[in-house]
Amino acid sequence: MTAYFIRRFLLIIPTFIGVTIIVFIITRFVPGGPVERMIASAHLAAASGQSASSGISQDAGNQPLSEDQINRLKEYYGFDKPVITSYFSWLFKVLKGDLGTSTRYYDPVWDMIKNRIPVSLYFGLISMILIYSVCIPLGIAKAVKHKTAFDNISSIAVFTGYAIPGWVAGALLLFLFSFNFEIFPFGGLVSDEFEDLSLYGKIYDLFLHTILPVIAYLIGSFTVMTLLMKNSLMDNLSADYVKTAVAKGLSFKKAIFKHALQNSLIPIATSFGNNISLIVTGSFLIETVFNINGMGLLGYEAIIERDYPVVLGILVISSLLMMIGNILSDACVALIDPRVKFQ
Amino acid sequence: MNALTIKKIKKFQSIKRGYYSFIFFAGLCLLSLFAETLVNSRALMVCHKGEYYFPTYGKMISGKTFGLDYEYETNYKELKKIFSEKKQGDYVLMPPVPYNAYENDLKKNSYPPFPPSYKSKHYLGTDNMGRDILARLLYGFRTAIFFALILLAINYTIGISIGSIMGYFGKKFDLFFQRIIEIWSNIPFLYVIIIISSVILPNFFILLFIMALFGWIGITWTIRTMTYKEKEKEYVLAAKAAGASDYRIIFKHIIPNTIAVIVTFAPFSISSGIVALTSLDYLGFGLPAPTPSWGELLAQGSANMSAWWILSSVIASMAFVLIAVSFIGEAAREAFDPKMHSIYE
Repeated sequence: MTAYFIRRFLLIIPTFIGVTIIVFIITRFVPGGPVERMIASAHLAAASGQSASSGISQDAGNQPLSEDQINRLKEYYGFDKPVITSYFSWLFKVLKGDLGTSTRYYDPVWDMIKNRIPVSLYFGLISMILIYSVCIPLGIAKAVKHKTAFDNISSIAVFTGYAIPGWVAGALLLFLFSFNFEIFPFGGLVSDEFEDLSLYGKIYDLFLHTILPVIAYLIGSFTVMTLLMKNSLMDNLSADYVKTAVAKGLSFKKAIFKHALQNSLIPIATSFGNNISLIVTGSFLIETVFNINGMGLLGYEAIIERDYPVVLGILVISSLLMMIGNILSDACVALIDPRVKFQ
Repeated sequence: MNALTIKKIKKFQSIKRGYYSFIFFAGLCLLSLFAETLVNSRALMVCHKGEYYFPTYGKMISGKTFGLDYEYETNYKELKKIFSEKKQGDYVLMPPVPYNAYENDLKKNSYPPFPPSYKSKHYLGTDNMGRDILARLLYGFRTAIFFALILLAINYTIGISIGSIMGYFGKKFDLFFQRIIEIWSNIPFLYVIIIISSVILPNFFILLFIMALFGWIGITWTIRTMTYKEKEKEYVLAAKAAGASDYRIIFKHIIPNTIAVIVTFAPFSISSGIVALTSLDYLGFGLPAPTPSWGELLAQGSANMSAWWILSSVIASMAFVLIAVSFIGEAAREAFDPKMHSIYE
């Protein structure tokens, strides 16, 4: 077993290199990178400067930056070397814990990410706790009451939630509760006057800003977890050991909670590890809709602004988390299910 | 069709929620194919001096044909007014919604968006540019649904072939593709699409290509696992003993036995295809500007919430379609699931 997990951890390395190299190459060959943007802004500055001095437009079509300057810029961003060389120099920096500096804000990428993680973590943790505390009981109830009115109605609700993507639901919620009824604020994490509020005021303010995004986060994940719980419990209920237990006179309640439930929680545990990447990275669509400054929005804005060090930095964090999450999931299963043996 | 398939279809029909959703959804797809006859600025039929014209499909008909003083395409709404004023027995039959998805219906002294109005035949109002929302919804639906269907076909073709080959041959081929898939699935695909489509102006097929590039992974995994299970069964051994080639075993024996899984997953892939296209359009990285799309309407609606008719009509139609699709999926799952459940009294 230990050997298996060591192997899994070692396999992270080739996958990590594969993922980052692909994205690195894409960012390299996409026009509009930092150097080109510098040139463009210099163009703009030169053009306005010329018109101000009612200039003689002798070199209007020429580069405002000299060849030398452009080369220095390229060197600064590592664009002067071939892709593979600059990829590896980037990789070594990452290994030393240096994710580079944002080409947009000139802040260290790690600091930018570090500032955003708590926001995504806040929403991620709240939604995770709510998902597990609602889905497991609901799934049990649905399995026990299979094919009854309760099962039918909750199925409709659950599938409706699944059908509508979280961010669309978010837009709808904003429209209904913030615009029409004016109960909740229009996105953001806190109000502008947050600093001036009392402690209770602060908590209340944060609470108001939290509700709608959390609902949007919940809507999608809810369904999968509930149905997973329901189906796995139903599989176990029809298994022979539960039939035997009931036949021997155990009450139905005890048969569920003492026998079936424990085994049917295993599939739930399978997905447990995947939560860490969701918790930390968040969903950029929901963050865009609600204008929450989390990791998702940071990554999205970085792409729009061609801030590639940030894009790659987020990729490093999110892909590592995802892979570690997968391994954690397997470890969870191995921990709770003695039948599972990884070779 | 064998007896088992008929039984499954019967079971599907007996699940009312899914079955009616299926009829509703299929009807909607069919309707959208003939969208031009329902929502269009071209007339269905024009009778002019005893001759009949059917302008809906085919080339544009110049205004001169109907005795107007311009060469460009006839404005049928104007023509209808002119004909009814002249009263010479000529008439124009317009579709129920006489607007196409692109025309800006502007009014004097007021600015769009205009609220829904029965009189101006903008049944769901107009958007920020004065374009009819019902028209944009219907044509947007057609684009989205066919996008999702074609994407499904591509993804499943790739996924089923690679997945079954991986599962059947196993060993090095399997290991190699496992690594590729692991790398591929770790790449944040929405990011890559955004990067690519912010550089080249994407059209329908480019978007389809990019999405297919990342979309085949899910089904490949599933089919691989299924094939692993299937190939151990006796019927495969029997086919092998009878001398069937690998190709024949995979395509004639194994894949037909995984069809239940494929059918179960298909509706969910359709809805995720629609959602993916809508998300991209919402962010502005989808189909280029004037193309009618749900995502673009969503973006407009959430930017301008006082025009409540934009956001509410697009969210309502999205909800209807996606819920119908997921009910179909739910029913298909139940119909194709051979497991029997015990219910305790």
